[in-house]
Amino acid sequence: MSAAALPARGALRAAWPWLALAAGSGLFWSFLDARLTRDLLDWLPYLASGFVMNVLISVLAMALGTLGGVVLGAMELSNARVVRAPAVAYVQLFRNAPHLVLIFATTYIFPFEIVVAGSYLPFPDWLKAVLGLAVPACAYVAEIVRGAILSVPTSQWDAARGSGLSRGQTLRWIILPQCLRRALPPWMNLYASITMSTALASLVGVHELLHAATDASTAVRRDDFTIAVYLTVLAAFFLFCFPISRLTRRLERRFAPR
Amino acid sequence: MIDEALQRFIALAGRVGLHYDFLLSGSEVRQWAAGMGTTLLLVVLAIPLSLAAGIAFAAALTSGRPWLALPVRAYVELTRNTPTLVQLMFAFFALNMLLSRALGGAAHNPFTPFFWVVAVTGLHIAAFHAEALRGGIEAVPAPLVEAAQATGFSAFEILRFVTLPLALRTALPALMNNLVNLVKLTTIGSAIAVGEVTYASIMIWTQRDNVLELMIVILLFFGLINLTVSRIGHFVERRLAIPGYGV
Repeated sequence: MSAAALPARGALRAAWPWLALAAGSGLFWSFLDARLTRDLLDWLPYLASGFVMNVLISVLAMALGTLGGVVLGAMELSNARVVRAPAVAYVQLFRNAPHLVLIFATTYIFPFEIVVAGSYLPFPDWLKAVLGLAVPACAYVAEIVRGAILSVPTSQWDAARGSGLSRGQTLRWIILPQCLRRALPPWMNLYASITMSTALASLVGVHELLHAATDASTAVRRDDFTIAVYLTVLAAFFLFCFPISRLTRRLERRFAPR
Repeated sequence: MIDEALQRFIALAGRVGLHYDFLLSGSEVRQWAAGMGTTLLLVVLAIPLSLAAGIAFAAALTSGRPWLALPVRAYVELTRNTPTLVQLMFAFFALNMLLSRALGGAAHNPFTPFFWVVAVTGLHIAAFHAEALRGGIEAVPAPLVEAAQATGFSAFEILRFVTLPLALRTALPALMNNLVNLVKLTTIGSAIAVGEVTYASIMIWTQRDNVLELMIVILLFFGLINLTVSRIGHFVERRLAIPGYGV
């Protein structure tokens, strides 16, 4: 049993009564109304294709956000004011900006196609939504990185040098492992939060889960179906985000400084 | 005087390629100002709602009574792990519809989209407040609670006079962080046509094609609200500080 698999199994064990509750009430409902279940099953592939888009947007936004955030976080710790000031300003501005406004901004400001070496490449809305969420993700990751680096006392550098470690070795074996431990839980929290924000992309016309649900509800036009389809959307996000947040809480407790 | 300053600003902005000409059109300025007013009203109503509900949820979570704590725990987990926009859509398209039907038609339904935005965003953030306050309540040293019990305080009095005042102080930074998120969340009102600042801006830029210009002002607007919120938070923090008591 590897160390990484342990908290994952624990989170699953903690989450399972909730999963059972959700599955149980879903099953109960389906016995109540067979027609509703059939309609819901008919639309399920369409809804699933929407959810794939949510996951894709969240993964790409988080990847870009992490790359940009690590650079910004390092810039925030620089001694040179010219390096530090722009990073601090970026983080302040975009941490306070509503995600929806940023998604609108990237959607409407960027063109619908870009010219690369004479050929026109389409610039689809979902990619703009990725950028719209990567902008605040950079700001949040920068704060996480800054906090993680500052949490390691500088005396450890001195102690490592005293033990005969080089600067590179100190970074690799002493500092970075501690930074990663501190940064991982908030980074995972951020990922869950960005995943939930991908639902905002439906408002700029990206075909994701919420958009698919609205399509389905306007196509079927039945009240019970509308309720069921929005409940399905809630359940999908919950089943995706809840295990992440349980795992995060376990890691937080495990990595808590003693 | 103001007109002159406005003219000069528009000319200046025009020189760097930003077109703020719409500021000269009375109807658009009124629409935009009304949008900002609506956003402020949403914030002013949702903040007290979130705090009141957050305290009630935290009290339920720490009450030690499973029939009270478990439903609230389930609500908190559900709220924290689903998108607020989906909650709003569910509330507006499903709950509101059921309410309309129960009341005999949409014409008799007193609940406006504005109401649903305040309720959903306020109760969403209340779940985050509840978690922060619960942590604070549980961090109160046990001897303090036992002393209150021995003095004859009831469970409610202990919450009101001992644990909650201390929990509020430890949880304050987290609460302020939640309130900043609440301010940002009010923008989802635009999804159900509540005329807050984002919605008003969409109306203007579909006519004018001046997205960048409006965005800059919106970002500054939210930056200003959140600066005010965190200033008030720091002020409260200083006022509540107990000399010699941690944090």
